[in-house]
Amino acid sequence: MRSGDAQSPLRFVSPAGRALYPRDVVARNSPYLLGVTPAALLLTLFFIGPALWAVYSSLTNLALVGIDAANPRFVGQDNYARLFQDPDFWTVIRNSVTFVLGSAVIGQFVLGLSLAVLIDHAERRGWRLATLAYAAVLLAWVNPTLIAGYLWSAMFDFFFGSLNHVFLSAIGVGPVDWLGSFPMPSVIIANVWRGTAFTMIIFLGALKTIPPDIYEAARIDGANAWRRFWDHTLPSLRPIAALTLLSITMATFGTFILIQTLTNGGPNIATETIALYAYQTAFQSYAIGYGSAIAVVMLGLNLIFAVFYLRWSRARA
Amino acid sequence: MTTRAQTAGRQAAARRREGTWIEAVLAHLVFAAVIVFFLAPFVWLLTAAFDADAQAYIRWPSQLTLDNFVRVFTEHDFGRALANSALVAGLTMLLDVVAVSLAGYSLSRMDLRFKSAITYGVLLLQTMPLSATMVPIYGLARAVGLRNSYLGLILIHAAIELPFLIWLMKGFFDSVPRYLEEAAWLDGRSKLRALVEVVLPVARNGIGVVAGLSFLAAWAEVLMVIILVDRQDMFTVPLAFYQVLRTRGGYTEVQYGMVAAMGVLYLVPVMVIFFATRRMMVRGLLSSARGL
Repeated sequence: MRSGDAQSPLRFVSPAGRALYPRDVVARNSPYLLGVTPAALLLTLFFIGPALWAVYSSLTNLALVGIDAANPRFVGQDNYARLFQDPDFWTVIRNSVTFVLGSAVIGQFVLGLSLAVLIDHAERRGWRLATLAYAAVLLAWVNPTLIAGYLWSAMFDFFFGSLNHVFLSAIGVGPVDWLGSFPMPSVIIANVWRGTAFTMIIFLGALKTIPPDIYEAARIDGANAWRRFWDHTLPSLRPIAALTLLSITMATFGTFILIQTLTNGGPNIATETIALYAYQTAFQSYAIGYGSAIAVVMLGLNLIFAVFYLRWSRARA
Repeated sequence: MTTRAQTAGRQAAARRREGTWIEAVLAHLVFAAVIVFFLAPFVWLLTAAFDADAQAYIRWPSQLTLDNFVRVFTEHDFGRALANSALVAGLTMLLDVVAVSLAGYSLSRMDLRFKSAITYGVLLLQTMPLSATMVPIYGLARAVGLRNSYLGLILIHAAIELPFLIWLMKGFFDSVPRYLEEAAWLDGRSKLRALVEVVLPVARNGIGVVAGLSFLAAWAEVLMVIILVDRQDMFTVPLAFYQVLRTRGGYTEVQYGMVAAMGVLYLVPVMVIFFATRRMMVRGLLSSARGL
């Protein structure tokens, strides 16, 4: 009878012999489907719903106040046309890319990876100072972003900030107008300070999973430390590197509070990233429809990044 | 073969010994620089908070005082903000532990064709920046009356870290052998009771990480509070700090000492919780990265 069922046009059976009947599947999984419901509701309400709403309202002239707030009109792709013709928008995109490349891909990633390798090495040698360095990096990461913004706005202060008043004056260098003359490098420094720990933690863990005999073999072959790192350590870290990059790129791309507290996008729009631009358009210019169009562009870019990294990591894994 | 390898090994060891002290000095210089760079801002925060006349730069307090902390409570109703934050973060943690346990376990045990697609979809949600969806979330909250409401804050804070926590917890449940719950089912326990009484105790480390991370995230998060709360008696710690930063720490009258004191009060619970559970947290993070 069983084999007869398999021939039946109504009953599809996969090569593995598993029934693909929707009703079967639903019945078998019903407690689990019930189990994901609370989480699915929250995710729909605060992730999927808002994303869809952003797409919808980006096609209208919805405003926060005034006549367009009560009766938004459908305006089609007007918001997008306006956005792509806005020269500020392209500056903002360029700022976002600079900020992400500088603080996540180069700053946090390179510093985090180097620190992980160094601390891993130091642990084997029994150098105690490494533990304090590890804790210091971790502390900056655990620290709420809002406090990070406050701490660095004090550090960067032109007249009395610690960077100028304590560190630079100690080596006889005159004061630097950090947030005025070098706004982008300054916010990048602050974000590297805040986020390096994540990469460091992940790679420290990953380094411990590399079997030591790989090193032994390479050492016996006479490979020096740099060659061993380049030929053996790095390739085995590649899959995890892709996912670490994904995490820190996304987190940096969405950075809002840190930049807002440090420069609020200024001077002029020198540090205005796409996240700040969306916020200011919506809440300060009250143009919700236009602000949503910016948000949709942001979500689209985000999705492109994410798919790219995930494919890359799976190709290597 | 063996002898040649041993000789080469000895030579390499000799080369390493020569390099050792230079290497050690260089490494310690790097560590010292790292420690200064990462700790200097905190040194400033601490000294400024206890300084009667705090400046923007690091120095030993001109006169040690607790006055800044007193002013935080007398001038800014910070006690109320602390209570609000504790309530919101505590209930967020509770909601997250329940929702994440159920969802993580269900995802782990589910038998669907598109399960891995669903799991990756959940992870993709986590990469969605909150700063992109804050406008719609504001609109939604305003439409359904979740602004200036504890319920609104708890729901949104529970949702923010949810995708990552589900992913994390699914990994923990994947490593719990199925025969444990199957034995419990045979004893006549329902799936829910089997989960609570048999599976959860085994995965308690994961639950600990979920609880800790969701509390910390809800305690520290500020973006949603900024757009969802404008009633003074609903202020949480991050919002109180944000407001003081914008008014007192900003362009009018600079009061570094009091703002720093508030920052210390905002930071201390985070530090205590994180460093008390550091090993568990780091291990949880690592296991989630390995699951990727």
